[in-house]
Amino acid sequence: MLEKEKLNKYAENLEFKINEKEYETLQNEFDILLKQVEIISKIEGIKDYEPLDFPFPLENSYLREDKTNMKISREDALKNASETKNNCISVPKVVE
Amino acid sequence: MYKAVIGLEVHCELNTKTKMFSGSINEYSKDPNTNISEIDLAFPGILPLPNKEAVKKALKLAIALNCETPDKVLFDRKNYYYADLPKGYQITQMTLPFGKKGYLEIDIEGQTRKFGIHQLHLEEDTANMEHLERESLLDYNRAGVPLVEIVTDPCFNTESEVITFLENLRNIIKYCDISEASSEKGQLRVDVNISMMKTTDTVLGTRAEIKGINSFNTVKEIITYEIQRQQEILEKGEKVLQETRRWVDDKKITVSMREKVDAIDYKYYVEPNIPPVAITEEYKKTIKEEIPELPIERERKYIKLGVLPKDAKTLVKTKEVSDYYEEVLELGGEPKETSNWLTTRILGYVNTKNIKFSEIYMTPKMLANMLTMLKNNSISTQQAKEICTICLEEQKTPEEIVKEKGMEQISDHESIKKLVDEVLNENEEQVKQYKNGKTNIIGYLVGQVLKASGGKANPGIVSKILNEEINKR
Repeated sequence: MLEKEKLNKYAENLEFKINEKEYETLQNEFDILLKQVEIISKIEGIKDYEPLDFPFPLENSYLREDKTNMKISREDALKNASETKNNCISVPKVVE
Repeated sequence: MYKAVIGLEVHCELNTKTKMFSGSINEYSKDPNTNISEIDLAFPGILPLPNKEAVKKALKLAIALNCETPDKVLFDRKNYYYADLPKGYQITQMTLPFGKKGYLEIDIEGQTRKFGIHQLHLEEDTANMEHLERESLLDYNRAGVPLVEIVTDPCFNTESEVITFLENLRNIIKYCDISEASSEKGQLRVDVNISMMKTTDTVLGTRAEIKGINSFNTVKEIITYEIQRQQEILEKGEKVLQETRRWVDDKKITVSMREKVDAIDYKYYVEPNIPPVAITEEYKKTIKEEIPELPIERERKYIKLGVLPKDAKTLVKTKEVSDYYEEVLELGGEPKETSNWLTTRILGYVNTKNIKFSEIYMTPKMLANMLTMLKNNSISTQQAKEICTICLEEQKTPEEIVKEKGMEQISDHESIKKLVDEVLNENEEQVKQYKNGKTNIIGYLVGQVLKASGGKANPGIVSKILNEEINKR
């Protein structure tokens, strides 16, 4: 069982707060996850496998050429913003 | 006794034509929100496509910085919420970056120092923010600009080491044509991590981080300030806090922004929309061949050619000057002589006039021609200096100046001998004095010959012939 203290610390590092009920749900979910990992770790020869970086055996040989092919006008871009100023999108001040 | 331990994160915007994951223009612009596309603004349904040229440039720099390079690279998502990050995550690299365990070599006062590069990776820049009294303004021109981040080992102890490293790094970036690396345009930004430890300790102290510094001079000021601030705390027996600090330029101090910076979990995971990019050995070889001779290699080459170490450093400081120097050498310039003229006369002029090197009128060919005239004794050193100044200031070629000013020096033996004979015939009294042992009268006679030539005779040759002729009498 994952201790509440640890969960609390993770939540803090992810910059959100969780309530009692959420703790319970999370603890139960983690419990299942940890049990699954335990089962996997018992598979014979599992240690001989390299961890997987990407889910498919896929390699990209295609990369985009460095050519301009996209642009939207400022007028269009600013349409989405509720407030604009000096041709910029205005948001509540984010620094003190 | 305490010593500082400093590590750097250097961010450098690449000079590609388009952005990292979109085909919109990558260009510094003062006109906000003009170089933008749906991808940069994170509209729903977008797919990032890595820029081939950016991949090439990141690999080039990794190789130039002696990094170990992988056979494939991956992109990762770094998740956090901030107004300048439209997607809510930044595409960067953590799992398989372009370079690891590299180093940058610098010769400092005859000793070779190696500064460790921990990692080099490719990522996208964020939008630019301007903070007003009550609001923050967002300009997305910068959002998605390709950015290379170079993370060093905590291998610096003083501000001067840091500055030397940064100058050399910027130089390599420019030599490799990876970025314009202009601090004024914010194309090169530095994060400084700094902690203090007792000289006898083996464990690093708690560090403070100062982010996004875009001038080397400020980097220097910050380090000097932080060393003193942290040392004072430790000497009082108190503890340095782990935090992000901000530089307040008008007060020349740092202030706390956020504590415990390392505790934030960015939930890194592999970017599922970009498959791994294969980097073949053949490709690495091609890129390696494209890397020009780097500043340190040129510096060592110049020293071998007889250039003073101090001047060799000056010559390689910018690729422009170094290329100019090499061109003069190719046109027959003697290495030390060329270096002297370039570093003192020409760069001196550039500095005093506060102009760009590229703006000077004197081409490598002009300097080479002038040096040839000097070597052939057709002009004197004094005249060469004058020609140099006139060429730079009045935009005339050395040949034109020589012609205009009638500077051609008389060096042929016959013409000078004729002048010497005339002077000796006219100054029988002085010749007599010379014979009686007043040998310093020769100076007067040399002067007379020079005067007779209208200042055009080569003084060295005049002196030699005069000595020969006077002794024949």
